[in-house]
Amino acid sequence: MNPVQRFFRRYIFSTVGILALFLVVNLLLVLTVLTAGYMSGTDNGLSVREVSGHVTEQAGTWTADDTALALLQEHDAWAMLLDESGTVIWEQGLPEELPRSYTSAQVASFSRWYLQDYPVKVWSREDGALMVVGFEPNTLVKYYFSMETPSLMMFLVGAIAVFVFNLLLMVFLMLRNTRRVEKAMSPILRGIQDLSRGSYQPLDERGELAEINAGLNRAGDYLMQKDNTRAEWIRGVSHDIRTPLSMVLGYASELEDDDTLPTDARQQAGMIRRQGERLRSLVEDLNLTTKLEYALQPIRRETVNLAEIGRQAVSEVLNGGLPERYEIEFSEEHPGRAARMEGDTALLRRMLDNLIRNSIVHNPRGCHISVTVGAEDGRCTCTVTDDGVGLDAPRLEALNREADVASTQDGEHGLGLKLVRQIVKAHGGTVQFWQAVPQGLEVCISIPTRNV
Amino acid sequence: MMEHKILLVDDGRDLLEMLCSIFRRAGYTDLVTASSGQEALQIWREQQPALIILDVMMPGMDGFEVLREIRRTSRVPVLMLTARGEAEDRIEGLEIGADDYLPKPFLPKELLLRVGAILHRTYPEPNRKVELAASTVDLEKAEVWKDGERTPLTAKELQLFEKLYENAGRIVTTGILCETICGEFWQGYESTLSTHIRHLREKIEANPSKPVSLVTAKGLGYRINLKGAKS
Repeated sequence: MNPVQRFFRRYIFSTVGILALFLVVNLLLVLTVLTAGYMSGTDNGLSVREVSGHVTEQAGTWTADDTALALLQEHDAWAMLLDESGTVIWEQGLPEELPRSYTSAQVASFSRWYLQDYPVKVWSREDGALMVVGFEPNTLVKYYFSMETPSLMMFLVGAIAVFVFNLLLMVFLMLRNTRRVEKAMSPILRGIQDLSRGSYQPLDERGELAEINAGLNRAGDYLMQKDNTRAEWIRGVSHDIRTPLSMVLGYASELEDDDTLPTDARQQAGMIRRQGERLRSLVEDLNLTTKLEYALQPIRRETVNLAEIGRQAVSEVLNGGLPERYEIEFSEEHPGRAARMEGDTALLRRMLDNLIRNSIVHNPRGCHISVTVGAEDGRCTCTVTDDGVGLDAPRLEALNREADVASTQDGEHGLGLKLVRQIVKAHGGTVQFWQAVPQGLEVCISIPTRNV
Repeated sequence: MMEHKILLVDDGRDLLEMLCSIFRRAGYTDLVTASSGQEALQIWREQQPALIILDVMMPGMDGFEVLREIRRTSRVPVLMLTARGEAEDRIEGLEIGADDYLPKPFLPKELLLRVGAILHRTYPEPNRKVELAASTVDLEKAEVWKDGERTPLTAKELQLFEKLYENAGRIVTTGILCETICGEFWQGYESTLSTHIRHLREKIEANPSKPVSLVTAKGLGYRINLKGAKS
C-alpha cells in the first residue's frame, strides 16, 4: 500500500470513528438532559405522599400539621382527602366550585387527567383513603401514555432500524465523497512523489482540480528542463573539452618522447601528460555520473564475468606502465569458480578502474594494491585493498553513510568514488569502505548476481 | 607496415596537424588529410588509402555517413575517432562496419597501437616471422624453428600465438585468450587454455619450465616478449 492509499485509508477510518463518537456523545447527552429534566421535576415538585403523611386522623377528626400546610402553601396548591365512598373527609383550600363528593368514575377520570382544569396528583393511602392535591390551572401538564406490547417492540425495532439506516447512509455518502476526493487527489500526490524522485509524467489538465494539475505540470516542466539543461550543459562541456584535451595529451606525449629535448623538459611534458590523463578520467566520470543520475543511460544488462573484468582492469594498469613503487595483484577467492553475474561490462570496468586509480592517486609514494573477486551465495564480491595512507575515521564514516559522496569531496575522493557508488547502486549492490589492517584503504563491493 | 597510405579525416585543422605529427614520428610517411566528409570521399576514391581515420562529428556529412558510403563498395579498414564517448555511438559505428573505435581524448600510444593492430590484421606481411629469445615463429606457415628444428603449430596454438603477438609486450587476459580459441562461450575452458599454453611453450621456449618468451602474469593471463624486448 502506498502512502497515498494509507493516508486515505486512515482518513476514512478516522471519519467513521468521528461519526460513531458523535452518535455516542449525542445519545449520552440526550439521556443526560432527560434525566436532568426528570430529576429537576421531582426535586421541585410537590410530593403528594409527603403531604399525605402529614395528614392524620385524631379521634375522628382529620388534621394536617404545619409541615403539610407549609408544603401546600409553598406550591400554591390545595388538597382534599376522599374516603372509600368518594366523600371529602378533609380539605385544605379546596376551591368552592369543586364538588365535595365524587363517584368512582369521576375519581378514575381526574386521577389520570384534570379535575375541572385543575391538574391534580393523587396518592392512595394505606387506610383506604385517597389523598388528592390540586394545583392552579396551567401549572402542570398531564399526559397519558399507553401502547400494546407488540407495538412497543415494533416501535423499538423501528427506531433502531432508522438509527442504523441513518448511520449506514452517512458512512456510504462519506465513503463516496472520500473516494471522489481520493480519485481527484491521487494523481496529484503521485505527481508530487514523482517530482521528488526526478521522474515526472505530465498530469491530465481536466476536471475540478485542473488548475492544480496545471500548476504541478508547470513545476514538473521547470524542474525537468532545469535538470536537462544541466545534463546538456555537462554533456556539452565534456564534449567540447575532448578535442582540446586530445591536443594537450598528444603534444605532451610527443614532447615526452622527444630524445632531442633536455631531460627536464621531457619530465615536465610527462607531468602535463599525466595531469591531462587525470583530467580525461575526470571528464569521463562527470559525464557518466550525470548520465546515471538523470537516468540518461540505461544499464546494459548481460551476463558478465566479474573476474575477467577484474583481470582486464588490472592488466590494463600493468600494460600502461605502472611506476615501480606501485605493485598490483589480482586474485580470485575461489579460482575456477566463475564469478558470473548480470551487469554492464563498461560500467563495472569503470568501477574497478576508479578504485584502482583512487589507490594510485592517493598514495604518490607508492603502495601495494590487491584486487580480489569472489562469488558466493548468489552474490559477486570484489575487494580492492591498498596498504597506503588510507582515510581518517570521519572520512570513512562519511563515505559509508548513504549520503552523497560528492558532499564529502575536497577535490580528491569526490567524483570517482561517487561514480563507484552509483554504479554499484545501479546494479543493486552495496559498497563499504574500511580501514585496512594494518593500514590503508579497503573497499568491499557486493552485488547480487541477479539484479534486475 | 609504415609505407601504407593513411587518410586522416577531421574538421579541426589543429587536430589534423597533430595526428600527422604523431604518425610521422611513429614512422608512417604516406599521409593524406581531409577536413570534410565530401573531401574524404573524393580522396578515398582517387588515392585508395590503406587505412582511414575518421572523425564522427563533422559539419555537413558526418563520419557515419562517410563510412556508410565507403562500405557500399569497399572493405578498407576504418578507425572511427569521436568526441562523443557514448556507448551508443560505439555500437552504431561498429554496426555500420568500422574496424575500431577510439573516443577522444586519446593518447598517441593508444592510437598507434590500434592502427598497428588493424594494419597487421588487414595486410599480413608475407613471410611474417616472429623472432623470440629461443626460436622463430613463422606465422604464414604455422611453424616454429628452434635449434634448427622445425615443429608445426596446431590451429589453436597459432590463433593463441597471433593474439599474443598482436599485443606483444602486453598482458592478454585468460578470458580474451579463451574467447580467441573457444568463441564467445568460453567459460570453463581455462584448463584447455593452459594445456595449449604448455604445448606452445614446449615448442618455442628453450626451457619450457622457465619460460622467458611466453610468460605468465599471475592470476591475469599471459604475455609474449619479443626477442630483445625488456621483459
